[in-house]
Amino acid sequence: MKKLLALAVALVLVMSLATVASAAEYPTKGISVICPWGAGGGTDACLRAFCEALNKQLGVTLTVDNLTGASGVTGHEAIADADPDGYTMGMITFELAGYKAQEMSDYTYENYDAICRVNTDAAAITVNTEWAAANGITDVATFVEYCKAHPGEVMMGGSAAASVWHIAGGYLMNATGIEIKMITYADGAAGAVKAAAQGEIQGVTVSLAEARAFIGNGLTVLGVMDSQRNPAFPDAPTCQEQGFDIIYATQRGLAFPKGVDPEIRAKMEAACAAAIEDPDFVEFMANNGQTISYMTAEEYTEFLAQAAQDVPKAMEAVDLL
Amino acid sequence: MNWSLLFQSYGSVFLNPQVLLMTLLGAAGGVLLGAIPGMTATMGVALLIPFSFGMELIPSIGLLLGIYCGGMYGGSISAILIHAPGTPAAAATLLDGYPMCQKGQAGKALSIAMFSSFCGGIIGALVMTFLSPLVANVAMKFTSAEMLMLAVFGLSVIVAISGQSIAKGLISAFFGMLLCTVGLDPTYSAKRFTFGVKPLYSGLQFIPVLIGLFAVSEIIAGVERIINGEEKQESSNEKIKEVLPDLKTIAQIWPQIISGGLIGTFIGAIPGAGGDIAVFVSYGFNKSFSKHPEKWGTGIPQGVASTESANNGCSGGAMIPLLSLGVPGDAVTAIILGAFIMKGIQPGPTMYVDKLDTVYCVFAALMLANLAMLIVGCCGVRFFAKIVSVEKKILYPIILVISLLGAFSINKNVFDVGVCVVFGIVGWLMNKFEFPLSPILLALILGPMCEQNFVRFMDLNNGNFGAILGRPIAIGFFVVAVAVVLFSIWNQQKINKREAEARRAAAKETK
Repeated sequence: MKKLLALAVALVLVMSLATVASAAEYPTKGISVICPWGAGGGTDACLRAFCEALNKQLGVTLTVDNLTGASGVTGHEAIADADPDGYTMGMITFELAGYKAQEMSDYTYENYDAICRVNTDAAAITVNTEWAAANGITDVATFVEYCKAHPGEVMMGGSAAASVWHIAGGYLMNATGIEIKMITYADGAAGAVKAAAQGEIQGVTVSLAEARAFIGNGLTVLGVMDSQRNPAFPDAPTCQEQGFDIIYATQRGLAFPKGVDPEIRAKMEAACAAAIEDPDFVEFMANNGQTISYMTAEEYTEFLAQAAQDVPKAMEAVDLL
Repeated sequence: MNWSLLFQSYGSVFLNPQVLLMTLLGAAGGVLLGAIPGMTATMGVALLIPFSFGMELIPSIGLLLGIYCGGMYGGSISAILIHAPGTPAAAATLLDGYPMCQKGQAGKALSIAMFSSFCGGIIGALVMTFLSPLVANVAMKFTSAEMLMLAVFGLSVIVAISGQSIAKGLISAFFGMLLCTVGLDPTYSAKRFTFGVKPLYSGLQFIPVLIGLFAVSEIIAGVERIINGEEKQESSNEKIKEVLPDLKTIAQIWPQIISGGLIGTFIGAIPGAGGDIAVFVSYGFNKSFSKHPEKWGTGIPQGVASTESANNGCSGGAMIPLLSLGVPGDAVTAIILGAFIMKGIQPGPTMYVDKLDTVYCVFAALMLANLAMLIVGCCGVRFFAKIVSVEKKILYPIILVISLLGAFSINKNVFDVGVCVVFGIVGWLMNKFEFPLSPILLALILGPMCEQNFVRFMDLNNGNFGAILGRPIAIGFFVVAVAVVLFSIWNQQKINKREAEARRAAAKETK
């Protein structure tokens, strides 16, 4: 019995020593990475590829765990609720900014220690080619003009209700003062894109990657809501170059739960800064039509704070709040 | 028709050892994943995507199609043997598959499921290759109005699968429809019946409900039988001589295979509609046109054939909009689309002109995948059928653990395990009071499709439902739906009358 007790005491001592040492030697074991969205989706693909790249930097295995459900709330809360020992992190996405306003979760960006932004995919105003030709719409200016002349008549699709592309419509309305009708497609962006090509609706506010099958084949891109053109779609003009300062994108980044040791955070941030330039990761993202748009922890936190203000405003515009 | 290109493509697929190996591995993995309730082909495909990055296009497509086709068949194994559909698309297979198993024909049911799956897959592959642009054009005519009426048409099958009492069938169906309303509403994201329970935001998850209603309820009933001493051990007397059905059986089931395969292919080709809908439509259609509709549901080969050919027909059908429009037909093809784009190929209308060689290679790979599924299935039939002879006291706990794990693994959420158990009890009670369970399932599949398309249609037309009169395809579906309901009611009355006569005759004899 005494021996057992001694062993237990020794074990506890060793373990507490290990925790003390952990910050300096981090990481000493595998890291669990939570993905709030399902396997096979855009977030999952981007995260798995980035974890491969991080693995090369950190030398430990990163295991992606898809904790899905409740429109991403489950996974986002699981990241924030995890033990802040540096061995659990996760990918937080655009949707986080809307949860509190929708009363779906009390958590905001303040419940996380942001690590870095990994990817953004800009929304684009893409319309049915025939409809555009019939109404003399060739660019963002003529589109806005037409919408102003026909308030509430133009119907645009934007994926599922409260999704990033649905809210993009609200953002567009707020930015240009036009009034359009947003139609929801619960099965996702693909359904909205198909409907726009069929002419059921006049256009979509989804990303270029989502609409790629029909671009130049039933659909025409009027303007991408980004500061520069997408290299995979060099012919698609931005809104900015047409004089409309509209920047809107979905975003994905890594975050720890709040309260992780600053030393561990610094190590992870450095690893991410290196992994983002990993040639395999860069090639993967290019092939997948996803844009790498890195931000440091500090920049990303600032960005998240801004989004927490902007997103609910856009949600109001599409009657979500 | 470019025959030399076709043969060339076949050669490059069937003579390439890497493609053969990958497809066979995919099919074996797919059958296994499909057979475990809660593990689906979608998960298998998603998990294997990273492995396929390093491969050439055709081996990786072979691998993915192998899983896809294998998973479609695999789902029927557990549906037949343990009353737990391994995948949603196998949900209708248990209607006749499980009764066959209880009659001691587990091996026969499995071999019919396998053979029908194979034939359905081949039909799908043939249509995909030769009629694709045509089918895709029709599929492109499906807007919200058509999808709404397609869902209504699907719901009309409820009467056919209700069993004796149409009223009880309708009660089950409406209960299922009510369950669909739980969660965030699809248009304004408003919370409905969530009571502040976060896991309910995304609604009741289909697979835990499915596993609960069918597998868990069956276990509860089985335990009850054991306690009451009514359970008799089925000794597997069935001698499985041939792993494929004999010619006599094939002669019985070929009409169901052909019609099931075609129904599956077409429904699979409509983006947003998949195997889970196709199997019920095929079952209802074939039952309605059968000479002996009263035998359906009692364990007949035709029932298994009609559903299994339909769900494998879907895999070919789902490739149609993927290849010719670049629009994925379901979750698995969405992932396969990703694999194409990774390799720098953008499927679309030009695919059948510029990249005909790739289309033919996919065709060959789909054929190979179905063949691989048949081979894996043949090897497994004797082995799988042995499950029946395991002592029930040992078997039930194992099935329970697998079922609950399956419910958990979908979202890795303990709440779903609770949902599964609750629906197990609900299913057991409904069975006791002779309410049919399948209508709930059909309502769960079609309810959201109905609601979303109805609300969208009203939104698009500023609340004017009359606009549906301008959609001939939609009206056509509606008319067929009404006809199916009337016909099924008439059919059911005929069945009930025949059964009543049979009972009277039997009563006379005993006197």
